[in-house]
Amino acid sequence: MSTASNQMRDWGLAALFASIVAIAVFVGHRNHELRARQLELASAGAEAIAEGREPPTGVEAAGLVGAARPSPHYAFLRKRTVITEGKVRELGGAHAPATDKLLYDAAQRFDRNGAFVELLGDNSGRAVAARAAKNGIAVSVVAPSNPAGMPWLILLGALGLGAVIAAAGALVGGAARPLGLALGGALLAIPAYGWGGAGATISIVAGALAITFAQMRGTIDRCAAGLRRHKTALAFLAPATIAMLVLVATPFCVGLVLGFFDHHQGQWTFVGLHNFGEILSGGGRAFDDPLNFWFILGVTVLWTAANVILHVTLGVALALVLKQSWLRGKGVYRMLLILPWAIPNYITALIWKGMFQGEYGAINALLHSAGLDGVSWFSSWSTAFTANVVTNTWLGFPFMMVVALGALESIPRDFYEAAEVDGATGWQRFWHITLPHLRPALAPAVVLGSIWTFNMFNVIFLVSGGKPGGSTDILVTDAYRWAFERGERYGMAAAYGTIIFLVLLLWTVFGARIGRKEEAA
Amino acid sequence: MKWLLVLLIAACGSSREGVVLWHAYNGPERAALEHVAAEWNDLHPETPLTLVQVPYDAFADKITSAVPNGNGPDLFVYSHDRIGDWAAAGVIEPIEFWVDDSIAGRYQKDALAAMAYRDDLWGLPMALKCLALFYRTDRISAPPKTTDELFAMAARARGSYPLAYANSDLYDHAPWLHGFGGVVLDEHGELRIASAEAADAMAFSKRLIDRGVVPAETTGPLVETLFNEGKADMALEGPWFVGDIAKGVPWAVSTLPIVSETGRPAAPFFSAEGVLMSARARDKDAAFAVMLFIAGDRSANERARDAGQIVPNAGVHDDATQAVFRKQLEHTVLIPAAPAMRMVWTPYMTALAKVQSGGESPSDALLEVEREVRRYSEPPR
Repeated sequence: MSTASNQMRDWGLAALFASIVAIAVFVGHRNHELRARQLELASAGAEAIAEGREPPTGVEAAGLVGAARPSPHYAFLRKRTVITEGKVRELGGAHAPATDKLLYDAAQRFDRNGAFVELLGDNSGRAVAARAAKNGIAVSVVAPSNPAGMPWLILLGALGLGAVIAAAGALVGGAARPLGLALGGALLAIPAYGWGGAGATISIVAGALAITFAQMRGTIDRCAAGLRRHKTALAFLAPATIAMLVLVATPFCVGLVLGFFDHHQGQWTFVGLHNFGEILSGGGRAFDDPLNFWFILGVTVLWTAANVILHVTLGVALALVLKQSWLRGKGVYRMLLILPWAIPNYITALIWKGMFQGEYGAINALLHSAGLDGVSWFSSWSTAFTANVVTNTWLGFPFMMVVALGALESIPRDFYEAAEVDGATGWQRFWHITLPHLRPALAPAVVLGSIWTFNMFNVIFLVSGGKPGGSTDILVTDAYRWAFERGERYGMAAAYGTIIFLVLLLWTVFGARIGRKEEAA
Repeated sequence: MKWLLVLLIAACGSSREGVVLWHAYNGPERAALEHVAAEWNDLHPETPLTLVQVPYDAFADKITSAVPNGNGPDLFVYSHDRIGDWAAAGVIEPIEFWVDDSIAGRYQKDALAAMAYRDDLWGLPMALKCLALFYRTDRISAPPKTTDELFAMAARARGSYPLAYANSDLYDHAPWLHGFGGVVLDEHGELRIASAEAADAMAFSKRLIDRGVVPAETTGPLVETLFNEGKADMALEGPWFVGDIAKGVPWAVSTLPIVSETGRPAAPFFSAEGVLMSARARDKDAAFAVMLFIAGDRSANERARDAGQIVPNAGVHDDATQAVFRKQLEHTVLIPAAPAMRMVWTPYMTALAKVQSGGESPSDALLEVEREVRRYSEPPR
């Protein structure tokens, strides 16, 4: 490619960046200005009404709204009159002009909260102001106003001039080339100063300089060449990358940010690290309080450890049995044992919950028929926790069994034959041959299984539901309760999410290191 | 790609017409509402009404998040107890501008009052819900008049429990709570959870289990099974239960007994389902006209007849079951619409379960509930 076309490509990059910044600051500036203008007009309108003058042009509706007259039968029904242009009329009813409702609601709000001026929340751009007047409440509604149009002429002019400067620089060559690029790319900084102040100008100039610098070092040329070379590969990667960005990265980032806010009755407030502080300090609760974060973390860790140990032990044991040559009908057994895994886990969880029911559940019925007393499964921590673990073990062992079965198949038979010749016992064969060969396959499965179990919302939520008293809740179910049962404290729930992520990140890094060490050993 | 774009434009375009109403009804209630909507569309082809069924579990959260972004419906049907939250968050539109005494007079006064919050009116009532006493006429001839009679029934019971209800659910426990004189929030909206009366009611709920009047750890679906299988003679349930009773089970419904300790009638919670307007409704006048129609007498008659709803409209004919519920409504307590109420359910449930399994004293458990709810309703510092 020629120097000139490369120059125009680089200028294009700088111009794109500058245009984005310039348009963003212009829109921000324009909305701010419009808002200020509308609010000012609304205030002026209300003031004019209060002083008995004509409201200024641009005010859509304005009037002196009379005091509320409550209905004799219903305290929450109030009628009001309005005086507009010297005429008195009743507010309300089915065929009233649409602005009457705005006048009425503004007066209601004034009675509750006092004078105000604000933009309506419906994105129409209407502003409403209400203030006290001698014989009522002066209200004015400003008509929706269109924001100023985009300054296309300035934008296109600056871009065109910039292109010419950049092209001229390339034609002259030498030091004029980067100079032309920097000047041409930064030209939009001049009008942007008027819209967004120094900040916008500095960003545009900095962007143009960075691109010029990159051009001088040849970085852009190398990137462009790389893009061309890997065109096909990048095209294949693009759909997955976009999907990951939209479905994983975006919610993740939103969650991270939300953790620093508090949501209370529809209002978001920035609270910094307060949520994290409240969680990590246990919110002033004792350590044995089931709602203390550290108690829940302890339960979660215990829950994860108990499950993973049971899953692995049961899974490996069943895999060993299924591998025995004397066993007949292996296919049937294998299918039956994988079945719990194939059924959606919430259905399994609900079935087990029913079986643990105190009065009519299958498990207590079994205990009764064996002459034992029934157990009230969800009234003490240990039995409720056991019920959860039993359910999740039922759900979890097939995965470990399948992994172990696969790994067992890959152990060469020669090892066992050699061991037998050397007179090794069955236990020795298991301990010195089978287990070391299972380890590389099981280690990642254990890390994965522990992450699944750590966040196993369905079993906890559906089987014990945190009973008794939230003491069998794990971190994710408690996060859910912050979001949906404790007054929509989304910020707290998001902070919980971040903490869960950090704990699991630590565990994955730590677990992977153990796995590597074992492989090396 | 092109097709996707066309679909997208079509989807955006279609929602811009007429009035859109979300509801969570199923079965006969849904059919009745759809019939009402069809009538509206016949009468008013210029403002077509579109119904969208949204699953109940997701309903409230969808409204809370969709309406402020301008993606919500114009109208929706929901129980009154979220009005406080939605009014505070600016999700719903006050409607008293359009309502005068003649419109208000069409509704039972307390049903309309349930739609009011903070001295504003936010919706028109459509259906009333509360608990009453269902009993199997093949097992008992007359339901108990007092709780003492209820306990006496346990002594005589053979192979079945006299009563089944969802013990640890505050909604199902509320008749006893109010019958003993307790409350959750007082008339000023202040939390009054921990009281001697509430503790008495909790101790009573444990006594019901200990003396074999009711089975422990019962949930809604289990109540249905026990009643249908004849393992419970009576069930504490609402109007929706009629559809759950198995064919061939002879049943009747009665009002709740009087709490013998206090002499006051057991008073369940009462909730009013109503049609509410989104603060972002596009054509508010048209939306209100639809509201009036949906909650109007003609619609109410159809909903009462076809779906068994207990409607708040004056002059609608009740069948025998509806008449009993209407009588029960005289002794009910409106579920408070204050935002704090919604934080009470889970901790209260925990406390009931703890007390009923003998793990904690009622007064301690109630103190803990009150402490938790206060903690959650505190604004951020």
